[in-house]
Amino acid sequence: MSTPAFTLAAAPRPLLFAGFMTDDTHALATGLRQRDPDLLDHLIEQYQQRLYRYLLFLTGNPPLAEDLFQETWIRVLERGSQYNGKSKFESWLFAIARNLVIDASRRKKISSLEELGDPESNAPYDPPDERAASILQMLVSRENEQSVQLSLLKIPAYYREVLLLRFSEELGLEEIAGVMATPVSTVKSRLYRGLAALKTAMTEGAA
Amino acid sequence: MNENLHERASQLLAESIVEGLRPADETWLREHLASCTNCAQEAAATQNVLRALRTVPVSAPRDLAARTQLRVRLRAQQTSPATNGSFWLWAVTAASWLLGVFSAPLVWRGLAWLGANFGVPKLALEFGFVLWWTVPPLLAAAIIVYQKALAAEWSNKN
Repeated sequence: MSTPAFTLAAAPRPLLFAGFMTDDTHALATGLRQRDPDLLDHLIEQYQQRLYRYLLFLTGNPPLAEDLFQETWIRVLERGSQYNGKSKFESWLFAIARNLVIDASRRKKISSLEELGDPESNAPYDPPDERAASILQMLVSRENEQSVQLSLLKIPAYYREVLLLRFSEELGLEEIAGVMATPVSTVKSRLYRGLAALKTAMTEGAA
Repeated sequence: MNENLHERASQLLAESIVEGLRPADETWLREHLASCTNCAQEAAATQNVLRALRTVPVSAPRDLAARTQLRVRLRAQQTSPATNGSFWLWAVTAASWLLGVFSAPLVWRGLAWLGANFGVPKLALEFGFVLWWTVPPLLAAAIIVYQKALAAEWSNKN
């Protein structure tokens, strides 16, 4: 039997910026400080898929994800002067989005959003409800990847989030720690547990 | 013993994904995967999971970016630099008005001195005094009109 192709270490690929200015975080910071409307338009276009996907998988609620998407960019406009250009823009952007999700979850109970803060404390394993899963299921189009994505919906949000940031958004461990405002060790711990939870969910789904 | 090997392989597999491996561990894992069908299958399954995670096919609604751009531009317009500058304009206008009130007696005396020493007609002096009072608000009005024009330009640009 042949050995399946295997590549070690999933190192994040360098993020390619498609347009003007965004390859230079300091120029980006200057543009945000000046509230450059053209720059903001460009950034919204550039990050729309990644940000929406992140918000959708965190909330499990498309209308809420859309609202938070817009709120995130309003925050970027209003707090653009706080971005200093020393970190990646997407880390800053996801941190803003994450805080808005947490604020929204405090205002009203979001069915698919379990506690994002400390999964190891007392948070029970509580998969998202069928409604949220079915809404997301409708958005998943490729059949051969469906089982992974549906399994992703069955694991707690704090694992889902870290897995998405690492393997879908391809952020580094330190960057994820920055987004989540947690130590790198916590990020690693959640990645290990999240991968294990995902495998378990997939096994159960296949059974 | 074999169980330990498989367990180690499983641990290293997870480590390779999360943090990367030291060369010695990487070599050991490669050799183990080459000789162990079950672990190789687990590695392949893990890679499939990661591949699927990297390509989660969720698309943002088609008009979401456009709606967001519009909303951001409207907010930018509401809090544009021209609007922020209004505070300073009003502050300077108020200071100018106060200065005008308190300096009026001096100005009147100065105008009277001009009339006495240079024979300036009384009508001209009165006109000069009126100008002293009206020029600052006229200037302020001109600046406000200019600001509104800037705001309109900003709005059109956005």
